Amino acid sequence: MTAPARHPVLELRSVSKSYGPVRALRGVSLKVEAGEVVGLIGDNGAGKSTLISLVSGSAPPDRGEILVEGAEKTFESALDARDAGIETVFQALALAPTLNIVENVYLGRELLRRDPIGRSLKWLDKGAMRREVASGFQRLGLTLPAVTTKVAALSGGQRQAVAIARAVLWDSRIVLLDEPTAALGVKQTEIVLGFIQRLKQHGVAVIFVSHNMQQVLRVVDRVIVLRLGRKVFDGARANLTGPQLVGLMTGALAEEASVARAAPAVPGPSSKECGNAV
Amino acid sequence: MSIARPLQEWAQRNGLFFALVILIVFFWITSERFMTSANVAVILQQVSVDGLIAIPGAMLVLSGYVDLSVGSLAVLSAVIFGEAMQAGLGLAPSVILGLAAGTGWGAFNGYLIAYLGFSPIIVTLGGLAGARGLSQLITHGFTVFGFGPLFAELGNGTLLSVPVPVWIYAIAFIIGAHVWYQTPYGRHMAAIGGAREAARSLGIKTRVIPFWLYVASGFASAIGGLIVTSELDGASVSLGLGMELDVLTGILLGGVAFTGGRGSLFGVLFGTIFIGALSNGLIQINVSPYFQQVAVGMALVFAAGLDVLYQRLDRIRFTEEEPPAAVATAEASEQAEETA
Ligand SMILES: Nc1ncnc2c1ncn2[C@@H]1O[C@H](COP(=O)(O)OP(=O)(O)OP(=O)(O)O)[C@@H](O)[C@H]1O
Ligand SMILES: [Mg+2]
Repeated sequence: MTAPARHPVLELRSVSKSYGPVRALRGVSLKVEAGEVVGLIGDNGAGKSTLISLVSGSAPPDRGEILVEGAEKTFESALDARDAGIETVFQALALAPTLNIVENVYLGRELLRRDPIGRSLKWLDKGAMRREVASGFQRLGLTLPAVTTKVAALSGGQRQAVAIARAVLWDSRIVLLDEPTAALGVKQTEIVLGFIQRLKQHGVAVIFVSHNMQQVLRVVDRVIVLRLGRKVFDGARANLTGPQLVGLMTGALAEEASVARAAPAVPGPSSKECGNAV
Repeated sequence: MSIARPLQEWAQRNGLFFALVILIVFFWITSERFMTSANVAVILQQVSVDGLIAIPGAMLVLSGYVDLSVGSLAVLSAVIFGEAMQAGLGLAPSVILGLAAGTGWGAFNGYLIAYLGFSPIIVTLGGLAGARGLSQLITHGFTVFGFGPLFAELGNGTLLSVPVPVWIYAIAFIIGAHVWYQTPYGRHMAAIGGAREAARSLGIKTRVIPFWLYVASGFASAIGGLIVTSELDGASVSLGLGMELDVLTGILLGGVAFTGGRGSLFGVLFGTIFIGALSNGLIQINVSPYFQQVAVGMALVFAAGLDVLYQRLDRIRFTEEEPPAAVATAEASEQAEETA
């Protein structure tokens, strides 16, 4: 409905974040356009989840700016980011096991009854939430147990499906997926990759974090590689191969011409020098 | 596995109710006085005070916190009210001062625990000792008597032949049940108690909610202290002794998990009635007062055992916890080796 934006949907300008002595992100800049799927890859501890947590509002950057459709944002909490149209599937899933599927999908943004009494007493509209989730799952082609099943009773893959559905069911502009397929079987993985393609068709900007190069190469338009908190590669997927990506991640492959910034002095290729997150 | 779940849910839902019925029938048979209207009124008054305090108390436990200072905040509120009355401040200002004492201490608890991250058990254990000690310092151990007929109505009056404390409890319970079952806050509490990091990363107010629950707990304790003071027409430093145990036992018997995340306010209602009926019934059948304490202690340990049992049953059912990151990492490093 709005005029086509001149700005990228999401832009980071030299964003940095440290956890004590660990410099998890060092001056990372990137842009994501509407309808673009960006694969964010890197070795363990490279800073992928840190980047996701900054964009999702769960932690503030130390330095640098986050812009959504050209407007600079400072997120006080994850709810601010969700209100700005950013949905996240966290690596740790962020589900409450003692709550049921519907309660988890709407956690933090529950639907209230519309009538004046309902609104002033903050009265939940449980029926509407149940119906929305049930029909949403059907639309997404997800087969899960009854929507009132407690999340504690779900398998790892089913939990992941709930976490993804929670992000996808909203009309969001940006969806961040931190290793969404890590615990999934073949069929569920296909469904998730299908989601990503569908989000793209709907003009949603997607950042997809994964360690599975086949999956990355299948669904993304562009690949960004992080190593030790720095962006070491940012380029179109075309002509990239799995071994090349792994080489970039580990530093075994020197940065090519398309690398956005000067190469950092990193000793010791292909070894796990940044494995402190494991 | 397949029957464990329904069995567990059935027990959680109905076990306490049947235990309560058996308890009441037992005392009814063994004591002539137990079911007299005078004695039922006594039970209801105790249940009203403990139950009132157990409402924010149960919400705290649901959120993964606990308040052990409730009995001491009740006595502190009572003696500050008593001293203010004795100093001639008048009824309304004295009531306000009394309520402010408990509520203020509750806010102090909440600030230390929710915002500064202090341990809930240690901070409120400090309150348990500190607020009672302060009450003794203020009163030098003397009881203040005689607050007039209007104040006596709070603990002893009736409205439509229902005691005023029961009215207060009923209204508080309706509000509490609405918050627990019908507003987003009930879920948020369960999320904070069951998965605090997840709740935080979804933007749930993981500090604000527990803070206000401690304030509410202090406020409810203060009201409870004033109700008991009104019943006795005296603000005694021995008021509210052991109250935190009765309240917590009622909460845990009611099925609220001590680790947070799970529980029902209706269960807490039955748990509180159970404790009230148990301690009263034991008096009626002339059991030594020491044994009453043993009984409450045993009920608490029993409730803890139930809690463990429920958790075990939960875990039997849900053992498949795979480590996704490790699998993905193995894949990545395999590929890395290929390229090297
Ligand atoms: N909350 C935190 N507190 C302290 N250190 C942290 C925190 N989060 C991340 N780090 C550190 O920041 C670095 C980057 O971690 P991050 O989780 O972003 O890596 P990642 O690329 O997502 O790795 P993985 O593939 O293992 O998920 C690591 O060294 C990690 O130890
Ligand atoms: Mg990560």
